[in-house]
Amino acid sequence: MKLLLRVVEKIRPHFEEGGKFHAFLPVYDAIEHFLFAPGTITTTAPHVRDPIDLKRFMSMVIVALLPCVATGIYFFGLRFIALIVVSYAAGLSVEALFSIVRKEPINEGFFVTGFLFPLIMPPAVPLWMVALGVAFGVVIGKELFGGTGRNLFNPALVGRCFLALAYPVQMSGSWLKPGAGVAGRLLQYVDGSNVDAVTSATPLALAKGGEYVSLSHMFVGSVSGSVGETSALAILAGGMFLLLTRVANWRTVASILISFTALAAMLHHAQPDRFGPALWHLCAGGLLFGAFFMATDPVTGPITSGGKWLYGALIGVVTVLIRNFTGYVEGVTFAILLGNIFAPILDEMVFALRLRRLKVEG
Amino acid sequence: MNVGAEIQQAFVVCISAVFTQNILLAYFLGLCPFIGVSREIKTAFGLGLAVIFVLTATVMLNWLAYRYVLEPLGLEFFRFILFIIIIAAFVQFTEMAIERFSPFLYQKLGVFLPLITVNCAILGASLFMVIRNYSFIVTIGWGLGSGTGWFLAIMAMAGIRQRLAHERIPRGLQGPGITLIIAGLMALAFIGFTGVLQGR
Repeated sequence: MKLLLRVVEKIRPHFEEGGKFHAFLPVYDAIEHFLFAPGTITTTAPHVRDPIDLKRFMSMVIVALLPCVATGIYFFGLRFIALIVVSYAAGLSVEALFSIVRKEPINEGFFVTGFLFPLIMPPAVPLWMVALGVAFGVVIGKELFGGTGRNLFNPALVGRCFLALAYPVQMSGSWLKPGAGVAGRLLQYVDGSNVDAVTSATPLALAKGGEYVSLSHMFVGSVSGSVGETSALAILAGGMFLLLTRVANWRTVASILISFTALAAMLHHAQPDRFGPALWHLCAGGLLFGAFFMATDPVTGPITSGGKWLYGALIGVVTVLIRNFTGYVEGVTFAILLGNIFAPILDEMVFALRLRRLKVEG
Repeated sequence: MNVGAEIQQAFVVCISAVFTQNILLAYFLGLCPFIGVSREIKTAFGLGLAVIFVLTATVMLNWLAYRYVLEPLGLEFFRFILFIIIIAAFVQFTEMAIERFSPFLYQKLGVFLPLITVNCAILGASLFMVIRNYSFIVTIGWGLGSGTGWFLAIMAMAGIRQRLAHERIPRGLQGPGITLIIAGLMALAFIGFTGVLQGR
C-alpha cells in the first residue's frame, strides 16, 4: 500500500494545474479516491441524516449486493464477472468523459449503478449490449440531468428498459438454465453460443402457460432469470442488511411487498387457475430485487414518509397488473420507472395535505 | 348493443385511454402546452382540469354534429373544419359562462381556457372517435379517459420540473430540451402498459 501511495503522490503534479495531463485530473482523482480515503466531505445530494458520507453509503449497497453476486456466479458461471467488467468499463469511460468536460472529480455514484446493471441483465446477453445499455442509462438517465444525485430516473433501469424495448429478441432469448449439481456453474464460462444451456423460459414466462416452477427452487435461486434476481434468499440477506443499516428505507420496501402481495392474493382468490398464488409471485422474477435495491434509491424516490408509502403501493400494484394483464412477462422495471415519474408529485401531494392540516389547526 | 354492455365498454375505453393509449405519451398529442405550461404545479393543475372538461364536452358535441349533421348530408370530409369551429366556439362560450357565474373558477382557469382551443389533443381525440366508430356512450368514456390521461401526464411533469436542478443541465438542453427528454423517458415507462385493457 505504501508503495502505491508513493506512486500516486509522485504522479500527482502531472495532473495538477499546469501539469501535462491536467485535463485528465478527474480520472486521476477517481483512482486516488478509490484507493485511499479522501479528506473531503460530500457537499451535494444525496444527503442522509447520518454520520456516513456518500461513499460509505454506496459501499453499503455494494456489500449488500454481494450475496446476489455470489449466487449469480454460482448458478450462471464466470461470465457474470465479464458482465461486471464491461459494465464498469463502459460506464466509467462515459462518466470520465463528462467529468473531463465539466472539470470535476468523477463521482462515486456510478459504482453502484455499474454493479446493479449487470445484476439485472440476462446472464447470456451479448457483451456489447451491456456496454450500450449502461452507457445509455448513464448518459440519458443521469448525466444530462446533472449527474449523481440529480437524476430523476434510476439509471440502471433506464438502461435496461431501453435494451428491453430496442432488442426484445436478444433480451428475452438470453436466459440460461442454472447449473445443476453441487458445483453449479462455478467454474464454467457459458455464453449465448452454448445452445444446451440457453433457454427462453423464465418461471414467469412458464407461468403464462400455466406451468409453475416449484417455490423452493425459486427461493434458493436455481431457476432461470436475470443474474441477481433469481435467489430470493440472497436478496433477503442483502436487503435485511440494507434495512438494518438504514441505507434503504423500510417504508418503501414494506409498502411494495404489502400492496403486491395483497393484490396478487386477491386475484388468485378470484380466479385460481388464471393467476398464480401470491407467495409464488413474490419470489418470482425481479420483484424482491427491485423492492430492496432499486425502489429504495434515495435520489429517485419520494422524500416524505407518506410519499414513500404511496410510491411503494404504486409500484406493487402496477407490477401485478403488468405481469398478469399485458403481453409483458415481467413488469418491475416499468413499475419502478413509473414510480420515479410520479415520485415528485406524490411528495407535493403530501406537502399540500400537511399545509392544509396546519392551516385548519392554526 | 344494449346499454349495459356499452357502459362496460365505455369504462374499458376510459381506463385504456388513461394508461395504455395515453393521448400524450402514446400519441404525442398536445405537446406544446405540455412543455409550455408544466413549469409550475399550480398552473399545470388548472390547465389539466380545463383539458379534462373541454375534451370531454367537445368529443360529445362533435359526435352529435358528425352523426346528425355531417353523415346525413354526406359531408364527412368537412369534419376537420367543423370540429375546429365547434371546439373554438365551445371554449369561447364556456369562458363567457364561467366569467359570468364563477369569477373564482374564471380566475383559476382564465388564462388557460383560450389556450386550449389550439391544443391538438382536443381535436385529435375527436378525430380518433370518428375513426374508431365509437358509440355516444363509449365516446363519453373516451373523452373522460383521454382528458384524465393528459392531466396525469402534465401533473407528473410539473412535479418533476419543480424538482429539477437547472444549473447542472447542459446549457443547450435547459428548458424545452430536457423536458422533451423527460417526456421520452416517461413514454418509455408507459410502454409497460401495452396490452392492458385494449379497448377500441
